[in-house]
Amino acid sequence: MTSNLARPDLFDPYEVAQLGGLELVAWGVVEGFLAGLHRSPYRGFSVEFAEHRSYQPGDELRYIDWRVLARSDRLFVKQYEEETNLRAMIVLDASRSMDWSGAERRLTKLEYAKRLAAALGLILLRQRDATGLIGFDEEVRSVVPARSRTRHWWTLAAALDAIRPGGGTAAAPALRRVTDLLRRRGLVIFISDLLFDQHLALLALQYLRHRGHEVAVFHVMDPVELTLEGQPEARFEDPESGAAVVARPRELRAAYSERVQRAIQNWRAACRSGGIAYHHVTTDTPFGYVLRKATSRHARV
Amino acid sequence: MIAFLQPLALLGLAAAAIPAILHFLAKRVPPTVWFPAVRYLEDTEREQSRRLKLRHLLLLILRTALIVCVVLAAARPVADVGLGSAHPPTALGLVVDNSLSSAAIVEGRRVLDRIVEKALEVIGKLAEQDQLWVVTADGVVRRTGRLEALELVRALDPLPRRLDLGQAVRLLDRVVSAAPLAEREIVVLSDLQRTAWSAGDTAGARVLLWRPAVRAVNRSVDSARSEPSVWTSHGEVVVALGGNSEIPAAVRLEMNGREIARSVARAGDRLVMSVTPTRRGWQAGVVRTDPDELRLDDDWYLAVRVAEPAEVTVESGAGRYVAEALEVLGEGGRVRLGGGVIVSDRVAGTRTVVFPPSDGALVGNLNRQLAARGLTLRVGERIEGEWRAEGEGLAGVQSEAAGGWITVKKRHRLSGGEAVLARAGGEPWMVREGGVILIGSRLEEDWTDLPVSAWFVPFLDVLVNRLAAGEVRVVNASPGEAVRLPPGAVRAVGPNGAVEGDAEGAITAPVEPGVYFFVGAAGDTAGALQVNHDSRESRLDPVDARVVRGTLGTRARLVGDRALSRELFGGAARADLTLPFLLLALALAAVELIVASLGTRQTAGKE
Repeated sequence: MTSNLARPDLFDPYEVAQLGGLELVAWGVVEGFLAGLHRSPYRGFSVEFAEHRSYQPGDELRYIDWRVLARSDRLFVKQYEEETNLRAMIVLDASRSMDWSGAERRLTKLEYAKRLAAALGLILLRQRDATGLIGFDEEVRSVVPARSRTRHWWTLAAALDAIRPGGGTAAAPALRRVTDLLRRRGLVIFISDLLFDQHLALLALQYLRHRGHEVAVFHVMDPVELTLEGQPEARFEDPESGAAVVARPRELRAAYSERVQRAIQNWRAACRSGGIAYHHVTTDTPFGYVLRKATSRHARV
Repeated sequence: MIAFLQPLALLGLAAAAIPAILHFLAKRVPPTVWFPAVRYLEDTEREQSRRLKLRHLLLLILRTALIVCVVLAAARPVADVGLGSAHPPTALGLVVDNSLSSAAIVEGRRVLDRIVEKALEVIGKLAEQDQLWVVTADGVVRRTGRLEALELVRALDPLPRRLDLGQAVRLLDRVVSAAPLAEREIVVLSDLQRTAWSAGDTAGARVLLWRPAVRAVNRSVDSARSEPSVWTSHGEVVVALGGNSEIPAAVRLEMNGREIARSVARAGDRLVMSVTPTRRGWQAGVVRTDPDELRLDDDWYLAVRVAEPAEVTVESGAGRYVAEALEVLGEGGRVRLGGGVIVSDRVAGTRTVVFPPSDGALVGNLNRQLAARGLTLRVGERIEGEWRAEGEGLAGVQSEAAGGWITVKKRHRLSGGEAVLARAGGEPWMVREGGVILIGSRLEEDWTDLPVSAWFVPFLDVLVNRLAAGEVRVVNASPGEAVRLPPGAVRAVGPNGAVEGDAEGAITAPVEPGVYFFVGAAGDTAGALQVNHDSRESRLDPVDARVVRGTLGTRARLVGDRALSRELFGGAARADLTLPFLLLALALAAVELIVASLGTRQTAGKE
């Protein structure tokens, strides 16, 4: 309990959000997250091996590849790809469906996603990765080009703060826009509730993958969307599309829950087959857990 | 076949519509809630809609059936389970109604035949240990065995007399209640006329009342009487027709076997047939109407006496009102003035109408004259007041319907005499002894309002023609009714023979309707007995359940053919379906609970 007091990344997201603005919350979450890493066996930000080169006087001895020396009796040092070479783009879904919470004391999906994006951006920038942001709904609403300066995080945070829920969802144009902004191979972090056409979205994500980008999808859901709670009978209306269904949750709960799990599995399987990292996140999950899951699955983050 | 003991409860079947109504009410637009994941819900609803519709339909059917079962159980359903079922020893009272109305022929068959058929069926179900009492239209309670009862019932013919069903049931109730058997039951097999029920104690035993499912249309002669009672130069017969027939019918008056008057009337009409008699003395007549389904009430027998007008002598002591009224009667041919009956304030002659003298001092003289004639009649003190005069001697003269009553303002107290013909203030006012009729008041306006009333002349007509000139004794009776013979008569003689009086001077009216003449020992005619049907038997409208319960109590029930078979002997042939229906309702409730909670359990299991 005492340790948790110093670990806002492990707090209930809603409670954490009450502590201050988006920047402060993201900062606190990341600080807590990074502090936790030192106490864990996880080694964190390993740099990526690039190539061998002949040893030159002045090179640090710790980079000598001792295995190659043993096999060939020649000195080679391992050369790593520098972190600053990575360019990351966070693509945030700000459609109307994201602006919804299933409980009074719970963040909306958009609020949660914005804080998650801020935390991820801060971590990336701490690694000196150039990080940008695209916010979209039915069209691209805001674009922050990727920069690696530490102060850039404040730009990202301000942009995130300024994002307001829009209308429909059009993910494909936003993802295509990423290709314009990331000329070199990079990392694309796609945060959305994925309530749109799966086929089109997957095509766009796979296109990014084919362009050499690493892609991570954060599927954000409210817990209520998993279980279907509410009145004995209600007319459920989609705030985004206007589609409506009259249903009795008690009668459909089991089948609905099964249907949602099936959809999650479909997304997971489709992403996996396309080499895309998939993370299912509910808005009551502490940010630290999400960040840990993300970093454990993806070396760049 | 299922019947219901509490059919009113079936009104609750309307409640079976409640699930359907709730189902339609549930079709209202529910509150809207925002929910982004509607696409998953749409998919789910699409996949599950068929199952949900089936489930809703099943629940609707189950709930409706549940309510229907509960309502049916509340209506106490019973079913026939066949004849010959065993039953506890029963004291059975059986009323087989062969009264006049049972002679009606409907659809080519007598009502009595249907009643007898049902009676044989009931008797056939008697067990060895049962006891049976039978009452028919003669009103006699007979304790019989099964075989004797069968013979008795088979031999029944309609009797032209009335059976009081209320009285018959009460008689049987007393009898069966005294029987040392476990069960007591009374079965009434009758056309159950509404007019056949007299009020009285309710029955303690269970009473089942059955009637044939037929209804006759009837027209009857309800009454016929001669006016005046003694005809002189002419007379009238007043006839009343009853029944429920709408068709007019011919009404004929026959005297001495010859039709002397004819008319046409409908049921409910009252008609007057004028007659000019051609013979003197007693004559038998009959009023007939056209035959219909019930023949026994189409005739009405009456006796008429045709006599010369009474001869009357009015003395000055009678007063001027009497003298003038008798003059009017003389002009009308109702009396002849001179000789015969003497009307005076003294006793003169063998047949005298005497009024108190206007001079009170002469009352003593009058009493001495009465005593000298060996009479017990006496005139007492004179009193004043206001009294209403009423009595047999005024019959046909005054009535409430005629507009008022004779008021007496001054009178002498009377004592002695053979018969009190009228009273005033409860005391004798008109008394007869032998040929003397003594009236307590003078017929003058300061004694009584009679002389200035409209019925003064008819009163004197009756006084001299019927009372003073010779009493006409006509007695009406129903077949089998006890009748007291008039003074001097020893028998009643009719077309089928004579009925001798018993030691107490009474006879039983013959069963055969007709005119019977009272005959004295010397062969002189002392009056007539008119034996006719009871007009209440002509009213064929059946009684309803409310009247039956009001008369016999709540244990009495009207039953049809099937219900009688089922309910007989405490419902031995009846299966009570209340419990099965309740069990069925319980099973339906359990199934409903399972179906209703199926979705919840599925949810819990999968979560």
